[in-house]
Amino acid sequence: MISPRGLGGRGGLAVLLALVVVTGATAAPSGPPVRIGGTLALTGPLAPTALLHKIAGEIYVDELNKANGLLGRPVEWVLLDDQSKPDVTRSLYEKLITVDKVDLLMGPYATSGILAAMGVAQRYQKMLPHHSYGMPHLAKYEMHFPTAAFGPEPNVTVPARIYDALAATSNPPKSVAIVTSKFPSAQFQSNGAREVAEKRGLKVALYLEYEFGTRDFGAIAARIKDARPDFLWVGALGLDGNQVIEAMKKLDYMPPRQFHLFPAPGPLALAPDGKLALSHTFFEAHPPMLSNTGAARLVPLFHDRAAKAGVPYVNVDTQAAGSFAAWQVLEAAITATKSLDDKAMAQWLKKNPVDTILGRLRFDGSNNYGDDLSKLKQVQDGKWVVVWPREFAAPGARLLPP
Amino acid sequence: MPSLTLLGQAVVSGLLAGGIYGLLALGLSLSWGLLRLVNLAHFALALLGAYLTYQLGTAWLVPPWLATLLIVPAFFALGLGLHAVFAYFRVTEFTSLLVTFGVAVILESAIQWFWTADYRRYETAYATASLRVGPFFVPTLELLAGLTAAALALVTWAWLRFTYIGKALRACAEDPAMAVAFGVNRRAQAFLLSGVSAAYAGVAGGFIALIATLAPAQIWAWVGVVFAVVIIGGLANPLGALLAGLLIGVSESVTMAVVTPAWAPLVSFSVLILILVLRPDRM
Amino acid sequence: MSGAGGRVATGLVLAAAALAGLAMLGLPAFYESFLYLIFSWIALATSWSLLSGYAGYFSFGHGAFFGAGMYTTATLTTGLGAPFLATLPVAGAVAALLAAGIGAVVFRVRRLRGELFGLLTLAVGFVLATIVLNTRIDGGPGVYLSAVPLPRLLASPTGTLYLLGLGLAAATLGAAYGIAHSRLGLGLFAIHDDEDAAEGKGVPTFAYKLLAFALSAGLAGVAGGIHAMYVSYVTVGETFSITVPLYVVLMSVLGGARHWLGPAVGATLITASLYAFTGGQQAVLGRAVVALALVVVILVLPEGVVPAGLARWRRWRPRPVPVALASPALVAPPRADAVLACAEVWRAFGGIQALRGVSLRVEPGEIVGLVGPNGSGKTTLINVISGDYAADRGRVTLGAETLTGRPAHDIAGLGVARTYQIPRPFARLTALDNVAVAATFGAAWLTPAEARADARGWLEFTGLGRRAAALPHELNLHERKFLELARALAGRPRVILLDEVLSGLNPAEIASAIRLIQDIRARGVAVLFVEHLIRAVLELCDRVVVLNEGAVIASGSPREAMRAERVVEVYLGKAHVVA
Repeated sequence: MISPRGLGGRGGLAVLLALVVVTGATAAPSGPPVRIGGTLALTGPLAPTALLHKIAGEIYVDELNKANGLLGRPVEWVLLDDQSKPDVTRSLYEKLITVDKVDLLMGPYATSGILAAMGVAQRYQKMLPHHSYGMPHLAKYEMHFPTAAFGPEPNVTVPARIYDALAATSNPPKSVAIVTSKFPSAQFQSNGAREVAEKRGLKVALYLEYEFGTRDFGAIAARIKDARPDFLWVGALGLDGNQVIEAMKKLDYMPPRQFHLFPAPGPLALAPDGKLALSHTFFEAHPPMLSNTGAARLVPLFHDRAAKAGVPYVNVDTQAAGSFAAWQVLEAAITATKSLDDKAMAQWLKKNPVDTILGRLRFDGSNNYGDDLSKLKQVQDGKWVVVWPREFAAPGARLLPP
Repeated sequence: MPSLTLLGQAVVSGLLAGGIYGLLALGLSLSWGLLRLVNLAHFALALLGAYLTYQLGTAWLVPPWLATLLIVPAFFALGLGLHAVFAYFRVTEFTSLLVTFGVAVILESAIQWFWTADYRRYETAYATASLRVGPFFVPTLELLAGLTAAALALVTWAWLRFTYIGKALRACAEDPAMAVAFGVNRRAQAFLLSGVSAAYAGVAGGFIALIATLAPAQIWAWVGVVFAVVIIGGLANPLGALLAGLLIGVSESVTMAVVTPAWAPLVSFSVLILILVLRPDRM
Repeated sequence: MSGAGGRVATGLVLAAAALAGLAMLGLPAFYESFLYLIFSWIALATSWSLLSGYAGYFSFGHGAFFGAGMYTTATLTTGLGAPFLATLPVAGAVAALLAAGIGAVVFRVRRLRGELFGLLTLAVGFVLATIVLNTRIDGGPGVYLSAVPLPRLLASPTGTLYLLGLGLAAATLGAAYGIAHSRLGLGLFAIHDDEDAAEGKGVPTFAYKLLAFALSAGLAGVAGGIHAMYVSYVTVGETFSITVPLYVVLMSVLGGARHWLGPAVGATLITASLYAFTGGQQAVLGRAVVALALVVVILVLPEGVVPAGLARWRRWRPRPVPVALASPALVAPPRADAVLACAEVWRAFGGIQALRGVSLRVEPGEIVGLVGPNGSGKTTLINVISGDYAADRGRVTLGAETLTGRPAHDIAGLGVARTYQIPRPFARLTALDNVAVAATFGAAWLTPAEARADARGWLEFTGLGRRAAALPHELNLHERKFLELARALAGRPRVILLDEVLSGLNPAEIASAIRLIQDIRARGVAVLFVEHLIRAVLELCDRVVVLNEGAVIASGSPREAMRAERVVEVYLGKAHVVA
């Protein structure tokens, strides 16, 4: 043990400190791995979007391991395939906890799976960060942490934001047609869209619900065309939005403005008739959000990995960003509490907001929700750009009128 | 009360959607009715055809009609290969469901392996083109699909009814032992039929690529409704399959035009149930 | 239950107890939920096979009953605050009633078998899903059961569900075993092979199908009720997907749909394999490998895993052949009033008048020959008497009972047996079981165990004793004809209708058949004997009735009737004498 006096007092101490700092900063993580367990829909109907979460998670874990890991230890993501089935999700989370004995959990993809996992997390009192959940009023577990930052009442706040954005244009819409899939989270928010529209004095020219899995949108498109709304709200999930647009185009009709709730981003942006379509997002990879914590680093990595994996649309959008944010939340809680203790981490998160790629997330509201960070994006020149709220819009971009 | 134009448009739209159901149902109906094999892999083959059309079109700029010309013979061969396995193991109607399910899952996994699970859309300039017929719009691609379905159905019907091979196939299905006694080469017929069925799947796949967005799990999206079309139309009845497809397409579409669209399956399947219970003698 | 049944029952109970004990010792929750899923699928697949495997009515709507049960529990617990356990029998009842309603309509319609039944049940699934999706039962947002209290049967919620699942699986397996070895099961197996022949042997086909369907659905409903608590968030999309209807079929086919344990084995194999490759990196590849394995297994073992395994086992340890009882009492003592009488029976098919006011009588212990050229209506008359066809006009009576208007199985129960011109044995039942069906459902109404012993006697009587374990396709024509005869006799008939039983036999076989028929007459049975072979008619018959174009043209002693001018004309044509 080198005594500071033996090395010449303060100077020696400084050298010692410098040595410690330098070696500490470049030391690879070592020791037993921190094991974080979760599932994703790697196969089955939810696989298309879950793939993006897988890539995002892998990037994050790799970056952690390139740096200091978590608490100086390497990170291992124990990822299992829940085949898009909530009952499999439940039993796999039980496996992760009781058999694989992972240290911490990461949530699966989509509302039903997350609810199944939440039940398990609750029974074992483990915290559950997750990224793609759409029914805040059902999430009553006190240690769940959503990064799909809808706020506690998305059925009110999200439509309000959209209508606000539209009202701020030179020619606000006076009538709205709402067409929604009966997928639970989509229907929930679309119902809200109807109520908010009525409260604001917008005429609801049409309100239609279709079954999730509808193949032919011809009749629905015809009804929309008949209603001649100023604004079309499509409570779409995945493919539906495209199909509605194409069906309308085949009738030589396009509503002046249209909004899609949860579309598959790539197909819609690239669709020849997706011009000026609006959608909901929490993040797009352009300034000013590009300066959010971690964005500058993660966005190009996702670009590369997605391209290598053969994914058609390689930009980071709301899904991937949500995933990054969930990992950031987890990391922040671990680093702040210097532990892997679920309760301690949960308590910390409830009291301290976390800066993530989506912005500042807080979990102290109703059902652990904070602010509604929803933004409105628009397809402009074949790319998604955020146009509302103004402070998050891409530089020089605004909501283009029809 | 919806306008007549709206109703009419819904009928048009439904007929065309039904055309695609009929196109998919054609191959399945043939193999089920004449080979007594329930072929779940038919759907997987159709989707594979769709992905191949997409790949040829986007990676190598092969126009869809050429892609189909390339795919059809390849699928014919694939059908022969599949049947070789069935024949060797003497697969019966009962076990064919499980075997073809397994094949379908293998194909789905292969599709996901090569093209990832993410959505793929074959964008073409004419994807949303449509013809104007009076107050109605008739989307061109769907129209083409419907006409193809009708043409294939007619050709198949005529083939079965008027040619020697067609009659031989029907005889085999009804009474294999007797047909063989009359000199019908049952083995060859069965192979031919399997190849034709698979070829039809390839054709259907080409249209699916142009009209729908692709994801591997889409294989299973069509199973219910196409099974219904096949059975209602009568096994091995090509014209019946077409008509049943049209019936289901129209009933779904008109329902979606008149009430909440989410009720559509209720109407189409209730109509089915009523037809079945009240007068299926025509089958 | 007999020895084998007792062993199986004990085995089941022990296995169930062991599994239950395992849970109480505290398994990691994953194993509890993994095993719960296996139990749930065992219950679903086994219940499916009760109708579809045993009776061959392929249902594609098992998911509808499962979903009905799921939503019943979901609605009652969240909407009415009902205690969870109490909702389970209700879930089962709702599903069973649904099936009973469907069956009551569908099973009456003869043409709705095979694929049409499959489509109908598939359609029911879609209809139910749409109704649930669009009404207040769900309406779209799904039903969330997290607030519903789960009774603490075991320490953990997963353990409780495990126990419930175990109980259901055990009950379902018990039911499957019980049914397979009961009269109901035998009837269902007969229906599977030839429903009309089964009806003719006395199997109450409508009632049995309805019962099997309702039971199958009820069990699926209970499975659904339990599963609602397991997933705790019930949505239409997941509940009514194609997974349940498809997988129960696959599991049953893989394991062997006709065996009571088959679907359970298939369910275990398929569910377990779904977990074999859940590791993230090989998910896609793993799925393909599992599918390939399934394909290979079913190609190599087309009858299913369990039957193939049993066949192997039997080659090692052949089962002892049951010993026949003493020669069975062949017929009831003759009753003077058991006269078969047709009075003015008319029957047309479209434009063709097949029977024109046919009247005849057959006394007990009498052989009446029914002859006539082809197409004269002989087989039609037999079908009318046996109840396979209804008479347009006229009456058929047996003693004091009226037969016309009754379902065929009733008539068989009253003591009317028939053979078929082209033998129609139950193709997948052994010769012994073929005869046992008749003994079980005929006038004797024996238990299946007694019936099997009885059947041995009949097989000996007709000279087929050594062929008891053979399947019909292994028998030659003569043996199959005699099997028809044995089947007819096993029903303890008072009247036997023999439809061209001698056609296709060689002279030696004909001679032995004639002796048999004389033996039958000697025991007091009334015999209506349709035959072309005039020699046999002359030798056997006490009286002869001649039909032509649906009408009786002559009747009386054999020689008289055959010499009647009209009869000669009909057979040989009119003599044209050129003067």
